[in-house]
Amino acid sequence: MPKLIIDEQEIEVPTGTKVIDAAEKLGIVIPRFCYHPALGSVGACRVCAVKFLQGPIKGVQMSCMIDARDGMVVSTTDEEVVDFRKHVIEWLMLNHPHDCPVCDEGGHCLLQDLTIAGGHGIRRFQGRKRTHHDQYLGPLIQHEMNRCIQCYRCSRFYQEFAGYRDLGVMQIGSRVYFGRYKAGTLESPFAGNLTDICPTGVYTDKPSRFIGRRWDYERSPSVCINCSLGCRTVVSVRYRQIVRQEAKFSEAVNGHFICDRGRYGFYYAGQDERPRYPRIRGKEASWENSLQAAFDGMERISRESGPAAVACVGSVRSSLETQAALKRLCRTKGWQGPVYGMDHDIEMKVKTAVFELDSDLAVSLRDLENADYILAVGVDPVNEAPMLAMAMRQAQRKGAKVALVDPRPISLPLDFCHLPVAPDAMGLWLSFLLKNMVGPDTSEAPGPKARKNLDGTVTEDLTPLWNPDQMEAVEKDFGQSLRPMIVCGTEIVPKTVPGLAADCARHLRSMKKASGLFYLFTGANAFGAALLSDIETSFEKILMGIETNTVRALVLVESDPYFNFPDRIRLEQALERLDVLVVLDYLDSRGVRAADVFFPTMPLYEAGGFFINQEGRARKAHAAFRGGRPIAQISGGSHPPRSFRDDIPGHKTKPAWLALTELADGTADHLEKEMHNKLMQWMVKAHPVFSDLSPVDVFPETGVRLNLGQGTGARIKRDRLAVPQSDFKPDGELVLITVDWTFGTEELSVRSPYLRQMEKDPCLFLSRKDAAQMGISDGDRVAIRSDAGTIHVHASVVENMAPGILVLPRHHRLDWQHLKALKITLNKNQILGMNEDTSC
Amino acid sequence: MYPQVLFQNRKPDRIASLEEYRASGGYAALADVLKNFSYKDVRAMVLDALLLGRGGAAFPAGRKVMTVADDAPFPRYIVCNADEMEPGTFKDRVLIHADPHMLIEGMIIEGYSARAEKGIIFMRPEYESAARILHREIEKAKAAGYLGNNILDSGYAFDIVVHRSGGRYICGEATAQINALEGKRPNPKQPPPYATEKGLWGQPTVTHNVETLVCIPHIIRNGPEWFRNLALTETGSGTKIFCVSGKVNRPGCYELPMGIRLSEIIETHAGGMRGGAKFKACLPGGASTAFLTAEFYDIEMDFETMKKAGHRLGTGAIMVFDHKTCLVAATLNLTEFFARESCGWCTPCREGFPYMRDLLWRIEHGQGQEEFVSTLKQMCRHLWNSYCAFAAGGVAPIESLLTHFKDEVYAHIREKKCPFKNG
Repeated sequence: MPKLIIDEQEIEVPTGTKVIDAAEKLGIVIPRFCYHPALGSVGACRVCAVKFLQGPIKGVQMSCMIDARDGMVVSTTDEEVVDFRKHVIEWLMLNHPHDCPVCDEGGHCLLQDLTIAGGHGIRRFQGRKRTHHDQYLGPLIQHEMNRCIQCYRCSRFYQEFAGYRDLGVMQIGSRVYFGRYKAGTLESPFAGNLTDICPTGVYTDKPSRFIGRRWDYERSPSVCINCSLGCRTVVSVRYRQIVRQEAKFSEAVNGHFICDRGRYGFYYAGQDERPRYPRIRGKEASWENSLQAAFDGMERISRESGPAAVACVGSVRSSLETQAALKRLCRTKGWQGPVYGMDHDIEMKVKTAVFELDSDLAVSLRDLENADYILAVGVDPVNEAPMLAMAMRQAQRKGAKVALVDPRPISLPLDFCHLPVAPDAMGLWLSFLLKNMVGPDTSEAPGPKARKNLDGTVTEDLTPLWNPDQMEAVEKDFGQSLRPMIVCGTEIVPKTVPGLAADCARHLRSMKKASGLFYLFTGANAFGAALLSDIETSFEKILMGIETNTVRALVLVESDPYFNFPDRIRLEQALERLDVLVVLDYLDSRGVRAADVFFPTMPLYEAGGFFINQEGRARKAHAAFRGGRPIAQISGGSHPPRSFRDDIPGHKTKPAWLALTELADGTADHLEKEMHNKLMQWMVKAHPVFSDLSPVDVFPETGVRLNLGQGTGARIKRDRLAVPQSDFKPDGELVLITVDWTFGTEELSVRSPYLRQMEKDPCLFLSRKDAAQMGISDGDRVAIRSDAGTIHVHASVVENMAPGILVLPRHHRLDWQHLKALKITLNKNQILGMNEDTSC
Repeated sequence: MYPQVLFQNRKPDRIASLEEYRASGGYAALADVLKNFSYKDVRAMVLDALLLGRGGAAFPAGRKVMTVADDAPFPRYIVCNADEMEPGTFKDRVLIHADPHMLIEGMIIEGYSARAEKGIIFMRPEYESAARILHREIEKAKAAGYLGNNILDSGYAFDIVVHRSGGRYICGEATAQINALEGKRPNPKQPPPYATEKGLWGQPTVTHNVETLVCIPHIIRNGPEWFRNLALTETGSGTKIFCVSGKVNRPGCYELPMGIRLSEIIETHAGGMRGGAKFKACLPGGASTAFLTAEFYDIEMDFETMKKAGHRLGTGAIMVFDHKTCLVAATLNLTEFFARESCGWCTPCREGFPYMRDLLWRIEHGQGQEEFVSTLKQMCRHLWNSYCAFAAGGVAPIESLLTHFKDEVYAHIREKKCPFKNG
């Protein structure tokens, strides 16, 4: 541990610490532009110059480029370096426009700060400023190249860190230009981070342009709920409206960055259409009357048909408090449920994953960056949880190899080996891998439990299912790795896969490897749902209950089956039969419009709450603000928006958990704080796993990883693996799977008007081989006929996917809810190519 | 007449053929090396010959190759820097056009001493004819068994490719050149790691200038001592190609012993000052060296003696200015070049040169102010803190202008015009 002296203060820092960081530990913040902890030091801007007075290095040097070493005596205030830094700032300001008053960065601009701090006030340079043309970079980012100070952070982030190539550096000298070869929307789903890392106003947040200065905003830490990773964010609120969301550094999860789905996905919370008043059969009503109507209705049905005639459906996007309040409601009333998802299989897979996730195997997203080998099964990182792709890329930049087993046409911003295995064969693939790794002669050696489950497998020629060479390569890489990590999806994989993935990680652990296990779920709080949901029931069962009149009332809590259930016609018919449909939500969903009684709830930014991410890390989001419709929506367009009235319109919304508490006894005059304490007490009592969440003054910023308690004991019994039907051939029937897309699928972010502009058009992916057999060409219109309807979509013919599979992203502009199920088997004659050239 | 070593086969109208090169003793050194010498012997000889890098930095060539560790990984690369873009320098082009096989042989021997298997010649795009010549002659060398998998039946394998650069001054900087070869932006990269440890594609890489490489066969053929004795001074060794330009009667490329006096170069070899003009100053080693004033007219042109006098021999490109030349204008011209050619990576060089160009332009065009001088001086000093050595070189003419030709600068400011221009 080198010891050095900076500005007459001694400090000891770990080996490899840069002098700039060592100084920061002493509270001395050396100016910097190009240096960024995530991007490393490159010594380009030269503004972090310090003088080395004694020790192994002498003279003026850049503090970001020099590792702290024993005996160094460093001065940051030496006359020469202060003068040099001042010159650097003067140079940077030569071409910088004096447009701070109209620049969105003004107020939180590093260049502005350092220009003031460096004492550069008078312009000496009499020459002309160089100017650039700006580019259109899409709906999310505003480009203003004249402000550029050439710190290279953007191109380093965009190309080196994130792995996309369409933005970079051109030209040389003072004409250096950062942009795209041609104006156009940035391709990277991480492009929004440019607005965070740019030290001045070259890249600014376009949707929040001209809305306010940093100091106008109320800023509070929050959590992203647009996927299950739970990245940390900061939301900025002004005039009762979230105007911007930025990444917040999180050591354990997202590091310095977030994806664009998260950054721009919050607009649902401030939408004009957001329902803000309770309604009874579509008519606005008071909260009390609505509560009475809902309470009476359900009590009546409970009395008449028994409590099981009332069913409760929650969701994976609700806070843990809301999920728990629903569970408590079901428990106290004897109502059916709760279930938190539409698809029982997925729920069960998540449950399996949650119970398999031993705390010593679980790794965080940042831990994943330290892997030297990653095997991902059944995940499409960029589309399902973009920041996972970013973490995988960081692992690869440090030397890790990445293999990905998935039938989808996957593209990642990194080099990886894609093994396109059919969804049904993924379980078999993994079990064969495990079997080969365990070895034929070591039945009781490492991983004995794993082996037991493999005895039933058939050893016939599996070549048509996957490429045996590729599996062998994976085995070999596992063997050579020291820190192998397994990433496992829970959506399109067979139900055996989450357990097998855990076995695999355990087996690797028994081989003395620092193996890790990382699951991916659908839904921000799928983990909480898995801990709370009732295994006995399912949405399917509830639906059947409605169809057979055994279920007469339904409570939907922040859940919209019209959006999420794959058979819409059946759903519509069933919901029509209900006596009472009670809906609590903050989205303007079709479920809300169909409700008999509706209660407006608060989104996370107003209610706060706990969310448990896919690694079991509970994180607390605080309410960013409270109350009513955004002033911009009620001020009639005046600027600045203002309103003069004696009430706050639309403030009668409540956290869903509170509304559920009220629904239990039909009274509304509860104290929120007291109710919250009671709910937490109930939660801890009913589910001791939540005891770490008990009220504390300051909940840790990094969150708390729940201790699920299981060591290596409780295992969910594995089903015997069967080879998919022997007539399974790529040229037989086709299996259609529906999947997530970065933009266009997720329920909350599809309401963002800006992300809507980022969406690709809906399409159906099919392999070149299948397309050729069916006479479908790329771009053709295709009709998919299922038992539940017909879907029209354009075909996208690709190479890099498993044959025999059709991949349909669940685009909100597509009525995929006419498929009947999330995954269906189709006959070739159910896919009709309708080549527009020949159709008429 | 001094002995012509590197130019021994130079002809006024065409390049020397393989046969002619062989007839003059060419490829004998290679055969000798492959048969009788270990790679360590070759390194020792080059070190002993005191061969200093001719690209301008004068780093001992023998020491450079020795920094490739014995257990360094393979493959290793030799890069020949033929990105000759230093203003006033045109020796590499002449060398390639005179005797391309000398370079090829030099690269093979240097490759052998570094235990490299591939040589890359990094060509400036304007040198298309030289690139074509090398292409053609490399094929001939291959056919003759000097290149390939089993050179002269020795088991040693070496191959050379010609890489045509996209061009730009910064590509001549060794680390930037490696980035350029990898297809990246040619920004310099500060060591560590050094290129001889982790260079091109992360492999050990030795980069030499064309003129350095062509010396190597002669060192092997005639011995280090002979090579050292070619120089006229104790500290020098070998011959040097001087590119003389400017106000002389016979500008051109001259192979002369290291340590020859500047006065002799100008008067005897370059035919004296043009039109009887008076020698005012010269840039002794390209645009990134300081003005050498008349006081040093008799200086011995050798890296060491020049260093002692506070000057740099650089590339040996002598630009001669007479008493009628405005040195402010000349410096402005050079600064224009550096402002244009800065790679744009670090702030002082990227922004400092255009700033100083602006100040010099104002001085030259009668808009100068007295405080410009101190601003320029201060900025020159700060440019020494740039990322790579190019900025420090680029400010050398400005710094020496302000030191040695202060009066001329102030005359511009005082008279509000360039005193060398009429009207």
